[in-house]
Amino acid sequence: MNLTPESKVLVQGITESPASTRAALMMKAYGTNVVAGVSPGRGGLELEGIPVFDLVEQAVAAVGHIDITVIFVQPYSVLDAALEAIAAGIRQIAIVTEGVPPLDMVRLVRKAEATETLVVGPNSPGIIVPDKLLLGTHPKEFYTPGPVGVISRSSTLTYEVALELTNAGLGQSMAVCIGCDAIVGSSFMQWLQILDEDDSTEAIVLVGEVGGWSEQAAASYIAEAIDKPVVAYLAGRYAPKGPSLGHAGTLISSRAAAQSAFGVTAENKMAAFEEAKIPVAALPSEVPKLVKKLLKKN
Amino acid sequence: MDLLEYQAKALFRQMAIPVLPSQRIDNPADLKGLKIPYPVVLKSQVRAGGRGRAGGIKFVENTIDAVAAAQTIFNLPIESEYPQVLLAEAKYNADQELYLAVLLDPVARRPVLLGSKQGGMNVEGANAESCSKLQQVAVDQDFSPFYARRLTLKMGLQGDLIQSVSTIVEKMYRLFVEKDLDLVEINPLGISPTGEVMALDGKVSANNDALGRHPDLAVLSGKRQSSGLPGERRSPYAPASRQNSHKNVLQSGPQFEPNSQSQISNSESLNLVELEGNIGILCNGVGLTMATLDAVAHAKGKPANFANLGSLDRYEAADALRDRAELGLELVGREKNVKVLLVNILGSVSKSDELIAAVAGYLERKTRANRQIQVVLRLGCDRDSVKERLGQLPVHLAATLDQAVAQAVSLAK
Repeated sequence: MNLTPESKVLVQGITESPASTRAALMMKAYGTNVVAGVSPGRGGLELEGIPVFDLVEQAVAAVGHIDITVIFVQPYSVLDAALEAIAAGIRQIAIVTEGVPPLDMVRLVRKAEATETLVVGPNSPGIIVPDKLLLGTHPKEFYTPGPVGVISRSSTLTYEVALELTNAGLGQSMAVCIGCDAIVGSSFMQWLQILDEDDSTEAIVLVGEVGGWSEQAAASYIAEAIDKPVVAYLAGRYAPKGPSLGHAGTLISSRAAAQSAFGVTAENKMAAFEEAKIPVAALPSEVPKLVKKLLKKN
Repeated sequence: MDLLEYQAKALFRQMAIPVLPSQRIDNPADLKGLKIPYPVVLKSQVRAGGRGRAGGIKFVENTIDAVAAAQTIFNLPIESEYPQVLLAEAKYNADQELYLAVLLDPVARRPVLLGSKQGGMNVEGANAESCSKLQQVAVDQDFSPFYARRLTLKMGLQGDLIQSVSTIVEKMYRLFVEKDLDLVEINPLGISPTGEVMALDGKVSANNDALGRHPDLAVLSGKRQSSGLPGERRSPYAPASRQNSHKNVLQSGPQFEPNSQSQISNSESLNLVELEGNIGILCNGVGLTMATLDAVAHAKGKPANFANLGSLDRYEAADALRDRAELGLELVGREKNVKVLLVNILGSVSKSDELIAAVAGYLERKTRANRQIQVVLRLGCDRDSVKERLGQLPVHLAATLDQAVAQAVSLAK
């Protein structure tokens, strides 16, 4: 993970839609070093000082090594765009696009593992380092610089928790949404590790869903490998019973099979966090209180 | 999107996975032209599980019995789903029944092969004992048949069955990848006394996000009798009849089933999930919707329903967000038992104008129609400017989720 205000950022699909163009300009206005955009067929265009290229490799040839790309292309083109970026030597990717077919993500994850590429998303507002860097579409008004790293699986709930931290005077060192689609590019574990090693992060908030497979895996990882204090907020405690409500279970049709395969039953939904002794906030507004308590202890 | 058994079997046939001779029956009279010799099995084509126990599968020996049985099955709802089609299939005597499946492990982000020597109804029952016998093999890298053989050995198969069953698994995997599926399941895979294998029942679930590049599967989704909009995303579990798109709502009036438990979806269609309280909830994003529900329950309030607008960035065209938000408000406020609407929408300030306009439009209409309903509005932007925009309209503004929930709960009392 290498994120600084100097990091060179590419936007793939910069002219894909008015929203993607607006997002690119917003990133730039936030201070992000957006050096180029890519939109096949739009090479030669310039958007408020951002040169647009047909191919990623042309962008790299023109501006030198690129650190991060933010992808806004259509869902069925995401895999191709990400592979193109990896081929051009880019090793950090944020995918904003929603609805990427899961098997495309499986292919991308394999490639990312082989090339040590960090992938965030799809279906993600990306990463924000308050007052320094915006990679994606986080609305800036919810964030302020501070010592708390936020890792989340949902977009607007990230804003909710960030806003509570901002209102409590804590702020965020970084907030990342790993993506709301069923199969995402990086795991909670990867980001826990990144924030554990990040000097500006003193505490970590994990925002997830009750009973999510990824959340369960994260809980035991925190107990084993994370030194910094972690607070969790898990949405869906009172969600109506029945089929999984959130993102996490959407792939599993055969519940019996899935439960057996991945070891999740209704009874142990919260148990993983209790066992790992991770404080779980009952409401987003409890998050800052729990964080303050843990920071005081340390 | 779950396919019906006969549709799944058509895909199996394409992959040369052995299936029995069968015939689709659209009405009982079709059985007079049956080309399969008796005895025959008639199977209700519904998505719900447990149709065997519910009486949706019958063995018949002759045409008279078959027509009568078909009439019974057509009139038998299974988990409130009536079959539109039956499948007539040759009878098969299996010596042994296996369970096989291919699906994705969302944590490992890899396809997984599942198998058990105890197939049939056992696995469906979800009891821990039979589940614990499910074996799994993750497909870490590019698929090769050895992954399938690894599974068969873990299942405890021996001799010729290793090769014949792993060939089936291999074909299931190829189907899974070729068609972008969420699930391919054969349960049971029958093994005859001579060691011949046969897919006796199957389940295929297509991935909704990928339907756009599989026109053959998208067509099947269009055929479903109670389907909403094409390309809708729905829970793999939720029977189609429980899904309600806003189109249905606006066109055909009150047709919501109470206590629908369909999933919050990112779908193009706006889904309303009904509960039993008196607070209607409108949010954007699955996580925020769940968090808002939790907060209401935590404050001892009772949600009447909820709807999720999804990502605000999706609404590009002028007024699209406003229309959508108004539709959402109408939807969560349409039942008379709803006393309070709790609107919790977080997004960029640039979207707030359209949202405020939606709330104003909604309230004006309700005032005209004399519908008594309170609205608690929480937007992630400056409260004073919202107040100014809404003027004298009876709306309660909240700055935080906790405030909004406290207000909504107290107003609902």
